[in-house]
Amino acid sequence: MAEVRVTNRDGSGLALDAAEGRPLMEALRDAPTGVEGTCGGECACGTCHVYIDAPWAAKLPPRSEDEQMMLEAIGELVEVRPTSRLSCQIRMNPELAGIAVEIGPVP
Amino acid sequence: MSAVKLDLLLETQRLERCPFPIPVGWFFAAYSDSLSPGEVRNINFLNQEWVLFRGENGKAGITDPYCPHLGAHLGHGGKVVGDNIRCTFHHWEYDTEGFCKAIPYAKVMPPICKKQPVLRTLPVVERYGMIWAWYHPKAEDPQWELPAIPEMEEPGHVKPRRWTGSVNTAIQEVAENGVDNVHLKYLHGAPIVPPTEAWFDGHTMRIDIGHGYIIGDMYGPGLNVMRFTKDGVTATMVSYSVPITREKTQMNMSFTYKDYPQGTKERAIAEHLVAHSIGEAEGESSAGFESVDMIVWNNKKYRAKPLLCDGDGQIVKYRQWFKQFYPGLETSEKI
Repeated sequence: MAEVRVTNRDGSGLALDAAEGRPLMEALRDAPTGVEGTCGGECACGTCHVYIDAPWAAKLPPRSEDEQMMLEAIGELVEVRPTSRLSCQIRMNPELAGIAVEIGPVP
Repeated sequence: MSAVKLDLLLETQRLERCPFPIPVGWFFAAYSDSLSPGEVRNINFLNQEWVLFRGENGKAGITDPYCPHLGAHLGHGGKVVGDNIRCTFHHWEYDTEGFCKAIPYAKVMPPICKKQPVLRTLPVVERYGMIWAWYHPKAEDPQWELPAIPEMEEPGHVKPRRWTGSVNTAIQEVAENGVDNVHLKYLHGAPIVPPTEAWFDGHTMRIDIGHGYIIGDMYGPGLNVMRFTKDGVTATMVSYSVPITREKTQMNMSFTYKDYPQGTKERAIAEHLVAHSIGEAEGESSAGFESVDMIVWNNKKYRAKPLLCDGDGQIVKYRQWFKQFYPGLETSEKI
């Protein structure tokens, strides 16, 4: 398990344990964060949008084309930042223990 | 006595009747006048079920039946809305190219909907009063265009007489009889083995039977235009067989000729040529395709390595030519 430090949309904080080898989205979805993860990790719904704390964002592999397109699509309706990611595309591993994320807005 | 080639004697135990996949090509799907704007119909061909529809703009589409969303069958409850087909389950809409054009409740369309078709469709064109579908096992774009057939597309020809029938074998087997001139004598009872030549060029094959009596032009597996000429009069048989399954082929034909005035010698010759080609000619013992070929097609097995003799003509070349329509199987020993 890897610890995830979450800032909710209302500003409250939360610490979670995320299973290694699984998408971050699943840990967020299964906790009271408001993340829905509707499409199951296909980059088709945009409901698992998060802002990654900048130092952590730099450690992540770059967005895939599909992730990029989904972020651009929701970007027409909500604020997408350079640190925006779809949490379904972030596979947890020991190096990400302690990662800090803020639940992003969704359409 | 030397050892017998046992493999030869036991080979049929292993042979399949129809070892072929569905070949690449343009295939007849339906007659144009049978499908009105706004109509949705389920059709079975090319080894699966498809949904045929015509948008209000007149454009016909052929789609895989199952909605990319949650798998509902578009042909059961689906409706044409504008130029699209709409799934009955959640009203997602698709155009004739398989792009998702509307999801009534989504705030954001899944990005893939803009990037590519999400529903498999077949490229469709309408020619000769028919709806034609392009089939490729990996959904690749058409590799050739359907040819002009003036007799079917220009005025001055009689309304085509149609024939259709079903045969329990693969489409390659049906068309192979075109290059098998020997069977015309022994199976059909023609007075002689007619001299036959064949030329192969890309997706086309031309055969000449009887020094110009029959010129057949085949355009891939699904279209064969045969012109019967006698005393300067030509009758045209357009044959458009389509694989229904890997082991069942629907044979379709349209016969036409120039609209010579009633009572003329030319019209009588043309009518006789049509009758001859379907085995209905008066005073001829030769049998048309409707009867005698079926007993062979319906019961035979395909021998990829046939035992041929010197008079057997171009069967091997025909089979080599046909292999191009099975991409990925060009070197298969089963076909």
